[in-house]
Amino acid sequence: MTHRADASSALDNRGYAGPLIRGANPITLIETAVRDRITESLYWKEQCFGLNAATLLDRAVDLSYIGGTYGVGMRPTPFLCLAFKLLTLTPEKEIVLEYLNMGGEEWKYLRALAAFYVRLTFEPVDIYTTLEPFLTDARKLRRRRKEGYVLMHMDEFIDELLTKDRSCATSLWKLPGRQQLEDLDMLEERVSPLQAELDELDEMEQDQDGDPRNGSESGASPLVRSSSSEG
Amino acid sequence: WDDDEEVAAEDMVDDTDGLDPEAEYAAWKLRELKRLKRDREAIEQREKEIEEVQRRRNLTQAEREAEDREYLEKQKEEKEDGRGKAG
Repeated sequence: MTHRADASSALDNRGYAGPLIRGANPITLIETAVRDRITESLYWKEQCFGLNAATLLDRAVDLSYIGGTYGVGMRPTPFLCLAFKLLTLTPEKEIVLEYLNMGGEEWKYLRALAAFYVRLTFEPVDIYTTLEPFLTDARKLRRRRKEGYVLMHMDEFIDELLTKDRSCATSLWKLPGRQQLEDLDMLEERVSPLQAELDELDEMEQDQDGDPRNGSESGASPLVRSSSSEG
Repeated sequence: WDDDEEVAAEDMVDDTDGLDPEAEYAAWKLRELKRLKRDREAIEQREKEIEEVQRRRNLTQAEREAEDREYLEKQKEEKEDGRGKAG
């Protein structure tokens, strides 16, 4: 496919021949109404024209907030415009991981953008394994709401992507639950960095009660299990 | 009114990191613990459900029916109670 500077090949609804995500044109992951607002926005026309996977970084490092649409006019944020641009570019997985890991270390809004893209385009198991490490990233993020801004944190945003069904004016496709994938042996149990501390607390509690909690032992919740394997 | 009106910097939320590393870490820890608690409760809830299904399967037909009847009656009672209060 010849490279076009604008997104006309992705947006052409008479026929689309580009790469597919889960069997469909990736831009359909953004809702139609929002899509129209994006392609009509000034930021899209002025700042997103002709970007490729490398030059998009120049825009991404300038991001100063995340969010979907804002104001009475429900204007799309630059964050959402760039996410949409990424969907028309569908960069290779390695590039996205590079945004997320190396680039994300320095530019938090780039990490947020890549995480959002990962949630939309990766396979379920990959989404969990790729995004969960960033639940330890406590950096602050500014988020633009309909009116004004709010403060949130990277870990909250990642958690939102993993557990909620809507984020940034976009309905996130149904991701199978973590537990479900664990039961199918497709995913290992997530171990939080706080797990050791939590287990200690648990043991202390049990000692104080003087009650071995024989009821819950047969229940074998993973948290109980991991504490017994340590001791 | 819907024109490109840049918001002044002071109206924006401050997103500078590392102003108070200890407090920021403590806040993160709290969020992480809340998530762990939520996930743990979800697992317990699911196990409880599975247990209940197993228990019901092990009952005889008559026992199951008796249990259902009891549950329905209780529901009806509660409904009537609620109606009394509302009126």
